[in-house]
Amino acid sequence: MPVIAVKNFKKSFEGREVHRDVTFHVEEGECVGLVGGSGVGKSVVLRSLIGLEKPDSGEIWIEGEEISKLSERDLVKIRRKVAYVFQNGALFDSMSVFSNLAYPLREHTKFNESQIKERIHAQLEEFGLAEAVNKLPSELSGGMQKRVGLARSMMIDPKVILYDEPTAGLDPFNTLKIRETVLRLKKKGVTSLFVTHDMPTAVAVCDRFCLLGDGRVKAEANVDKLHTHSSGDIQQFIDGLDGG
Amino acid sequence: MKASRVEFLRLFGGTTLLTRQVASELFRPPLYPSLVMEQIYQIGIRSIPLVFVTAGSTGMVMALQFGLGLEKFGGKLYIPKIVSISIVREMGPVFTCLMLAARVGAGITSEIGSMTVTQQIDAIRALGTSPIKKIVIPRVLACVIAIPLLACAANFIGIIGGLAVGANDLGLDPVFYIQKVLNTLWLPDLASGLGKTPVFAMIIAITACYFGLNVKGGTQGVGNATTKSVVTSSICILVGDYFLTKFFWILEQCL
Ligand SMILES: Nc1ncnc2c1ncn2[C@@H]1O[C@H](COP(=O)(O)OP(=O)(O)OP(=O)(O)O)[C@@H](O)[C@H]1O
Ligand SMILES: [Mg+2]
Repeated sequence: MPVIAVKNFKKSFEGREVHRDVTFHVEEGECVGLVGGSGVGKSVVLRSLIGLEKPDSGEIWIEGEEISKLSERDLVKIRRKVAYVFQNGALFDSMSVFSNLAYPLREHTKFNESQIKERIHAQLEEFGLAEAVNKLPSELSGGMQKRVGLARSMMIDPKVILYDEPTAGLDPFNTLKIRETVLRLKKKGVTSLFVTHDMPTAVAVCDRFCLLGDGRVKAEANVDKLHTHSSGDIQQFIDGLDGG
Repeated sequence: MKASRVEFLRLFGGTTLLTRQVASELFRPPLYPSLVMEQIYQIGIRSIPLVFVTAGSTGMVMALQFGLGLEKFGGKLYIPKIVSISIVREMGPVFTCLMLAARVGAGITSEIGSMTVTQQIDAIRALGTSPIKKIVIPRVLACVIAIPLLACAANFIGIIGGLAVGANDLGLDPVFYIQKVLNTLWLPDLASGLGKTPVFAMIIAITACYFGLNVKGGTQGVGNATTKSVVTSSICILVGDYFLTKFFWILEQCL
């Protein structure tokens, strides 16, 4: 049974059709790269997977549960196991980095304050953000905000992680750090969907690619078959970006 | 014309729906009492100067106006009565709520609106928590608790303002003034004035949250939503005031 399955997903905004018929799935422990030009609706797909958007029609299955018709209240248990790493971090800007990271722990775990503190310090160390602990998000660089966002979505050990361009706008060193984090989580058995324009990272972390375009999944290919298989569209897309 | 009708229906539907969500989530755990306290501070305590200035000057101006008017007919002795009744039944609660619709309503809408456009509201949802509980309910509760109390204080300050003008400018004896006020005012006056304020508080909070949560189009959208929120809740307060006054009037006749 796939962990994520999207079937005949259809979505329009104000009469403009973004997705016509998107169908794909992600198996347990797999990391699937979702690629495609800017504005094809990659973020919309990710948002729909945790119920932030409702499809106009079609089905979204998370671990054998159809979620597209769940209420906000029932979606809570989905959102506890599926983390969404926002494209821009989406940090709470009136809270310090510490409080941002403490938020999921305070909501969903029974840790006491000293355990929370310990976990947060470990997490910040892990992401190379130790010195930012008491800063406000507005005092951080864009790349740091992104990493704090990433760290926050991983506080309560999600089973599934949806990455929305986690490396965009990062320097090569931090990109490498993110890449290592994704690989490490993957080793732990986390299932992930990886949206990106950063092809070298995508090739390094993903097992499989889905190319989104014209409101559907235009092509699919395993990463090891990229150069052999007749995955023309994807190869072209990757080469185009890689070379450019 | 048609567009504005659609917008009106959307507003009406949206606020009704939001009120229903608030009602259904209100007592369902987890509850966040500390967030309510924080909002009471933001909305209630920090509005005190504004409310005092508004109420004080309203009371003073009314005493002056009635003083000028009634002096001609030798009705100066009625000033304590007229001023205090108009303050307690109408001016205190309604002016307070109109000022708060501007201060509090604008604050709530712009804060929630910026959270909406920077995806912080989405983040609250994505992290498995409810923006209704985290954001809307604390503000609604804080308004419903703080605004009636502020209106109470406004009544008091307004009467003091009237007293100050009465004693200083109109040559009324302060003791006489206070006695008159105390003899005149009785419970129905207070109740029919203050009874409106929880309704106004709901109007302010729900309208402000609704516009904040439904901001579209970036920073400019936040500005537009803030303007609309203040205008809408002010109009609703003024129109609602008529119906509430009528309601309390009928109620008083029955009693
Ligand atoms: N809430 C919304 N209201 C209206 N249109 C929307 C909304 N969300 C997304 N869209 C539209 O859907 C399309 C896809 O948006 P989306 O953000 O998913 O693109 P994307 O593939 O993630 O692009 P990028 O790579 O630039 O992040 C865009 O054209 C956008 O205008
Ligand atoms: Mg996107």
